[in-house]
Amino acid sequence: MSVEEIPLDADRKKNRYEFARHAPEYRHQFEAITQEMQARCPVAWSDTYGGHWVAAGASEVFELARSAEYLSNDHDIEGVRRGYKGISVPSQDGDMQIQGGFLEMDPPEQREYRQVLNPYLSPAAVARWVPVVEELVRASLDEKIETGRIDFVDDLANIVPAVLTLAMMGIPLKSWTVYCEPAHAGVYTPPDSPDQERVRQMQVEMGEHLFTQMAEIREHPRPGLVDALVRAKITGKTPPDMELFGVLLLLIGGGFDTTTSLTAHALEWLSEHPDQRERLSRERDTLLDPATEEFLRFYTPAPGDGRTITQDCEIASTRFKEGERIWLSWAMANRDPSLFENPNEIDMARLGNRHYSFGLGLHRCIGSNVARMVFKRMLTAVLDRMPDFQCDPAGAVHYETIGVIQGMQHLPATFTPGPRLGAGLDETIEMLQRLCDEQGLAEPVTVRKAKAQIGH
Amino acid sequence: MKVHVDPERCQGHTLCNMIAPKMFQLDEIDGHSSPLSEEVPADQEDKVAEAVRSCPEQAISLS
Repeated sequence: MSVEEIPLDADRKKNRYEFARHAPEYRHQFEAITQEMQARCPVAWSDTYGGHWVAAGASEVFELARSAEYLSNDHDIEGVRRGYKGISVPSQDGDMQIQGGFLEMDPPEQREYRQVLNPYLSPAAVARWVPVVEELVRASLDEKIETGRIDFVDDLANIVPAVLTLAMMGIPLKSWTVYCEPAHAGVYTPPDSPDQERVRQMQVEMGEHLFTQMAEIREHPRPGLVDALVRAKITGKTPPDMELFGVLLLLIGGGFDTTTSLTAHALEWLSEHPDQRERLSRERDTLLDPATEEFLRFYTPAPGDGRTITQDCEIASTRFKEGERIWLSWAMANRDPSLFENPNEIDMARLGNRHYSFGLGLHRCIGSNVARMVFKRMLTAVLDRMPDFQCDPAGAVHYETIGVIQGMQHLPATFTPGPRLGAGLDETIEMLQRLCDEQGLAEPVTVRKAKAQIGH
Repeated sequence: MKVHVDPERCQGHTLCNMIAPKMFQLDEIDGHSSPLSEEVPADQEDKVAEAVRSCPEQAISLS
């Protein structure tokens, strides 16, 4: 930077905020930080994590997220394009970086991947799986219903998204345990934890399993997301295996932790507000949809994403330079009083809830329809079968840091025991495996339109 | 009242279809929205207005 440029740079970055999203204190200071930034500097430069911009205001995030021509998601692993570092802030370091699927790509590749996968994840595609999800939920609750004790994370919210994701991928359902723990532990385990080695080992096993599945499905086609990917042509070429692997990790990483987090947080809040819980249960025909959107807004499981500025530009009254990094905070935008009245309160009937929780623009979460459906099935089953559940605040374990996913690790609860309704989890998973195979449920919606048929 | 969904802006958040299912249909493949009719019946006006306010991309407009 030249001598003349230095004062200009200081002027550009005059709005500053020390933004340490990964620090344990952040979770407790989030509302205060949000209010301060939105009042003082809705876009601010922070020297943390290698230096980056942070967008905290709703209108600023809106403008930036929709300026895809100036903000790149690209993660240039091999340094053959412009060396951009993807969506993690701080960016990944070290030799073994993995591109996070199409979330860390720009068009045209990004768009083509989404076109390959859309027929498996659209609202119409997702609706076919409802009976399967209801069975998984029933069986998970059946395992605990007679005891009067459950951990909503370990015994329900961790299980259902994991098994469903494997079903949609065309991977044998009984291997869900190979994927479940590493998918969560990989996110909640701090880098300096003594647990890192154990987690790394599980991730290696998961990776090996996934690679084996890719090879098998390529040789002997089985319908599902993996099949679509191994057969895909992106910009006319067959993608390398590591790239497909990155896409699958994105689908797992995107789908497991986030849905678990939403469900656990909502159940925790409903336990703390039994009158609201009763109201939701009673008025679910009108309230379930808006309540779901409100829990999404308030808890924003995936709190934000990074971008790289692709050319000098001015957006949201801020001058950016090519190569600079910016964090788009969906979580803070979701608490902006200019868009959401009383933003720090949960209003299950909130109107005009144009929240940012699935992102905005081209990279809108491709799993959003899955997330909503699975959440609603888990929530309604809990309301029906254990309506008086009481979460134990001493046993609830929130992720220590919420920099990546605002998650929960454990949420134990007690309730008045009830009757089992059917087979246990393992038996149900076996039955569902047969069903998936016989009915070709994992085919794209263009091939198979009908809902799953559970014959009892 | 006429309603229009900007196909360039719509990203398939599906809130409009949740709020006003009789007015907005979702594409089978990508879940993007289009109005079932350009003209909004009187009994759907409130729901459509709510859908306009609720679209995260602000892709719906009225005229």
